[in-house]
Amino acid sequence: MPRRRAARLVAAVAGAILLAAGCSGQGGGGGEAGADGELTVALQFPPRAAYAFDADDGARLQSLGVAETLTTVDDAVQPAPGLATSWEQTADPRTWRFVLRHGVTFHDGSPLTPDAVVTALRYIAGVTAPPRSIRGIGFTIAADGADAVRITTAAPDPVVPLRMSSGNLGILAPAAYTGGQPDVVRTGTGPYVLNTVNGTDSAVLVRNDGYWGPKAGAARVTVRYVTDPQSRALALQSGDVQFAEGLPNASLDQLRSAGVDVAEYPAARTIELLLNQSAAPFSDLRVRQAVTKAIDRPVLAAQVLGGAAAPAADLFGAAVPWGGTAPPPGADVDGAKALLAEAGYGPDRPLQVRLWTFPNRPEMPVLAGAIQSMLGRAGIGVEVTVGDYSAQEPDVLAGRFDMFLNSRSYLSDYPDATSTLTSDYTCAGSYNIDHYCSAAYDALTARLPTVTDTAERQRLFAEAARVLTADAVGVMVVHPLNTAGSRGASGFVADPLGVRPVLPPLSRTDT
Amino acid sequence: MLGPLLRRLLPLPLILLAASVVAFALPRLVGGDVTRAVLRARVASDAPDPAVTARVAAELGLDGPVAGQYLRWLGAVLRGDLGIGYVARTPVADQLGSALGVSGLLTGAALALAALVGIPAGVLAARRPGGPLDRALSAAGIAGIAVPEFVLAPWLVLVFAVGAGLFPAIGWGGPEHLVLPVLTLAAYPAALAAQLVRAETIDVLGRDHVRLARAKGLPERRVLWRHAARLALTSVTSLSGMFVAGLLGGAVVVETVFGIPGVGRLLLDAVLARDLPVLQAGTLVLVAVAVVAGMVAEVAQLALDPVAHDREADR
Repeated sequence: MPRRRAARLVAAVAGAILLAAGCSGQGGGGGEAGADGELTVALQFPPRAAYAFDADDGARLQSLGVAETLTTVDDAVQPAPGLATSWEQTADPRTWRFVLRHGVTFHDGSPLTPDAVVTALRYIAGVTAPPRSIRGIGFTIAADGADAVRITTAAPDPVVPLRMSSGNLGILAPAAYTGGQPDVVRTGTGPYVLNTVNGTDSAVLVRNDGYWGPKAGAARVTVRYVTDPQSRALALQSGDVQFAEGLPNASLDQLRSAGVDVAEYPAARTIELLLNQSAAPFSDLRVRQAVTKAIDRPVLAAQVLGGAAAPAADLFGAAVPWGGTAPPPGADVDGAKALLAEAGYGPDRPLQVRLWTFPNRPEMPVLAGAIQSMLGRAGIGVEVTVGDYSAQEPDVLAGRFDMFLNSRSYLSDYPDATSTLTSDYTCAGSYNIDHYCSAAYDALTARLPTVTDTAERQRLFAEAARVLTADAVGVMVVHPLNTAGSRGASGFVADPLGVRPVLPPLSRTDT
Repeated sequence: MLGPLLRRLLPLPLILLAASVVAFALPRLVGGDVTRAVLRARVASDAPDPAVTARVAAELGLDGPVAGQYLRWLGAVLRGDLGIGYVARTPVADQLGSALGVSGLLTGAALALAALVGIPAGVLAARRPGGPLDRALSAAGIAGIAVPEFVLAPWLVLVFAVGAGLFPAIGWGGPEHLVLPVLTLAAYPAALAAQLVRAETIDVLGRDHVRLARAKGLPERRVLWRHAARLALTSVTSLSGMFVAGLLGGAVVVETVFGIPGVGRLLLDAVLARDLPVLQAGTLVLVAVAVVAGMVAEVAQLALDPVAHDREADR
C-alpha cells in the first residue's frame, strides 16, 4: 500500500539520520569533548597561508602556544623573556645581543641553538614581503658564541627587543626550513605541539610534556576554525566546543544565561572617520571640529553597536597602557552649527559631503548610516557609499574623497605604535589617507627612533595622539571590543595586545 | 544514449573558452590593485609599500600586459596546471579538489534526500488533489521553498544540536556532521520537486495512455507509479542538473554556518581576497560541471520520456 510504503520511507530516512548520529560514537551536542583533559575550541581566524610567517599566521601559531619568539611582553608592554632570557644593546648601538634560554628543545627533539635562531630569522627576513616588524630596518642576524645571537639594524633601533616579540618572528627547528615554506608540524618549541593540520578547517594540538615553562592545561586540543560568529556561539551553547572567541554581541546575554563565562576586553583597533584635508571643506580645521562635535560617540558605541565597542576619545584605547580611557563628550549639535557658520556653511550654503566605507566589517555600514544621521542634524548632508575597499583605496590615497570610515589596528606586528603614527599621520606617511601634514607632529614622531626607554616612548605615543585629537585629524569613533566565552573550560586570560598564547592556560573543568 | 550525450558535449570547449575569458576578466573589472588586495588578504593591516608591492606583483606574474597574463594562464590550464593560490600559496588543484570532494558529498547527499522525500511526496499528493495529504504536503512544500537557508540552518542547529544534543552544531569529518547541513540543503529541492511532481502527475493522470492503462484493469498503484509518476519525473530530472551546479558552488550560507570547507566558501574567500588563480579555476570548473550536469540531465530526461526520445531519434 502506498500509505504503508510512505511510512516505511519516512522511517528509513529517520533511521538513516539517527544511524549517522550514532556513528559519531559521541552523540551530538557533546561533539569531541570526551576524554579527560581534552578541549575543543572554535577560533575566529583560520590560517591565511598554511601558517606562513609572512602572512600573519605566525601570530596564530603564537596564540595557539605552538611557536615562540625570542621575547614576549609583560603587562606594562615592556619586552619580557621568551626564548631569550636577556638582551642588551652593545657598544655599537645598531647591534643587540640576545642570550638564549638553556635547555630548550624543539618539538622534533633538536636543541635550540644560536644557529637554529639564525636559520629561522634569516628565512623570514629574506621572503618577498618580510613582516612589518623587521621590514626596512636593514635587519641582519649572526650567531654569537654558544648561547647568543647578535641582531644588527641599519640604524640604531631602540625597539629591537619589542620587535622580537612579533609572532611572525617565531622560531622553528632547523629541519622546518629545508623546503620552500617552513613546515610547522612538530617543529615549534611552545607548550603545545602542532600534531596535525587540516587546512583552514581544523588542527590538533597535543601537550608538550618537555616544555621549559608551565605545562599546557589540556592534554589535547582540537582547534576548529569557524568564521561565522553565530556558529561559534551555537557551538559553545551546544557543547561542541568549550571555548570560542569572537562571539556576536547580540548573543552575549543568551550565552551568559546558558552558563557561558563571557569575557569582553578591548582590542587594539580604532574605527576612524578620516577627513580629507588635502581639499575643501576639511582643509578647514573648523569644519573638522564641527564634524567631531556633531558625532555622538557614546551613542554609537552603546546603542548603534549595542555595547560591542567603547567610544573613542583618541587614537589609542584601553588595550594599551598609553591609551585614553576617559569617554569622549556626547554630541554638541549647536557647537557644530556655530563652527560651520564660522566656516561659511549654513542654511544658505549647506555643506554636502560624501562618506565612503566598506562592508567587510559588518559594523562599518551600520556606523556610516548613524553618522550620516548625526551629521544631518548639524546641517551636513552626507551621501554614503558602501563599496569594495580595493576599489576605493587608490582614490582615498590620492585624496579623491571627502570622508572615509576605516577600521585599523594601531599596533603592527609588535606592541609599539611608531609604525601607525608614522605611516598614517606624518606628511610622508605611506598610508596617510586624511593627508594630514603638521611639522610639529612630524618633529614629535621623529624623536621616537632615538628613545630607548619604554615609558618615555609610551608618553610620546600618548602625546602624539593628543596632537591628532587637537588638530581634529579625523574623528576617532570607537574602539571595538573583543569577546571570548568558555563553558566547560577555565583559565582564559584576555590579551588585548594579541601577542601572548591564548590556548595553553585553558583547561577542562567538566570532566 | 551515448550519441545524444556526445552531441551535447561538442560545444563544451567553446563554452569553457568563453567562461575562461569571463572568469579572467571579471575580477579585474572591479578596479583597484590586485597585488594590494592580495597583500591585504595575507597581512590585514599592512600599509602600502611600493617596493614590496612591486616584488609581490612580479612574483605573482601580475606585472605584465593583461592579454599576456591571460594567455599564460590559459596555456597553463590547458597543460593541466591550475597554478598556485595567491593567498594560501598551495596548488589550486589541491584546494579545489579538496573543496569539490566536500561539496560533492554534501550536494549528492542533499539531492538524494530531496529525491527520496520530494518525489514520493509529490506523487502521493497527486493521488487525491485537495485531499488532507495533498494540503499537508503542499503546506510543507511552501514552507520548504519559502524558508531561506540562513534561517533554516540556525533553527536546525538550535533544535537538534543545542536543544536535543543529537548532532554537532559545526564541523566536518564524521557522518554526524552531514546531517544538519544536508537537511538544510535538501529542504528547497525536496519542496520544489514535490510541487513539480505533484503538478505533472495530476496532468499525466488525465492523459489518454493512463486512462487506457486503467481501462485495461491495471492496479491503481501500478498506474500511478509506472505510467504517471515516471512521466512526471521528466521535469524534475531536467531541473536536477541545475541543482547540482547550484548546490556545488552555491552552498555558501550552509558551508559558513556549519563551518564546512566546501567550494562555496573557497570561492567566496577567493573573491574577497582577489585570489585570481583560485577564482578563475573555480569558475571554470563550476561552469564545466554545470554544463555537463545539464547535459546529463537532458539525456536522462530522454530516457524517461518516450516522446522526447523518439523526437531525438528522428534528428
